[in-house]
Amino acid sequence: MNQWMVLFNKELVEMSRNFKWIWVPIVFILLAVKEPLTLHYMPQIIDALGGLPEGAVIEIPVPSASEVLIAILGQFNTLGVLIIVLTSMGIIAAERKSGVAAIILVKPVSYASFVTSKWTAAMLLMWVSYFIGYVASWYYVVILFEAVPFIDFFQSFLLNGIWLSFVLTMTIFINSFNKSPGVVGFISIAIIILLSLLSSLFSRWIEWSPSLLPTYTSTFLLNNEIPDNVLSAVIVAIIGMIILLICSISIFRRKELA
Amino acid sequence: MELFNNIDWAAIIPIIVPIIVIQLILLIIAIIDLCRIEKTNGPKWLWAIIILFVNLVGPILYFVIGRRNQ
Repeated sequence: MNQWMVLFNKELVEMSRNFKWIWVPIVFILLAVKEPLTLHYMPQIIDALGGLPEGAVIEIPVPSASEVLIAILGQFNTLGVLIIVLTSMGIIAAERKSGVAAIILVKPVSYASFVTSKWTAAMLLMWVSYFIGYVASWYYVVILFEAVPFIDFFQSFLLNGIWLSFVLTMTIFINSFNKSPGVVGFISIAIIILLSLLSSLFSRWIEWSPSLLPTYTSTFLLNNEIPDNVLSAVIVAIIGMIILLICSISIFRRKELA
Repeated sequence: MELFNNIDWAAIIPIIVPIIVIQLILLIIAIIDLCRIEKTNGPKWLWAIIILFVNLVGPILYFVIGRRNQ
């Protein structure tokens, strides 16, 4: 445990040296805040830039607060996922490439604690940034639209966060058998797109797919009741994460010993 | 000019200012780091231009790609 804490601390120090603790939350804030602002000022923006003919009337219904929250989560699930993959694609791969991993693993450090300490640090960074971004956007939603009960806000936060954690775990899994960060990023993005595509095409048959969690979150926000399949999707996501972590530890061990 | 007079500045400023401040923080941190770092991935002056002139995406690109020292 002590050894694990040392590795974990090393990760945190490295993240603050890379300014990750500053720029990732800021990017999440900006991503999230953009959405309520553009939705709120859409009529003015069209007025100012649209160049509409005189007398043209466009009625844009004011979106409800939950629709805005869905749009914000949509930002997290596209650009946010991209940021998560970009920040974690080099987390093991770059260290192996530069030889740092070899230096660490020469010492009696278990592969499991090496991988899990990295995973925990990356998860911490992701959840903190995601939380800060979502809270900032919640503030804007309350100011510009209407008050959203905190419990709804928090439940949607947790539900969508599980999918983001799944994405992060998968990126780390791909890290374990590839040395180039660029390739890792590419494969992760491809798998995420494929997963989302497949589960939206066959959503009737794979209701437990973790990539349906964002869809369930929006249904929850719109209808204010938790869909039936959420529990199975959450359980599958958590089991999937554990399996991915175990697999990445064993693959990493084999690759590193070879 | 008519466009600007139509905008209710008093209502917008408390909404816009936090965003501008956050963007500025990101930009300043990127610039400070660029000054202190020994070697970037690519020419330094190019990164300075990217950070300063490519809004929001520039500093992110710098942190993701530019800081990777081989």
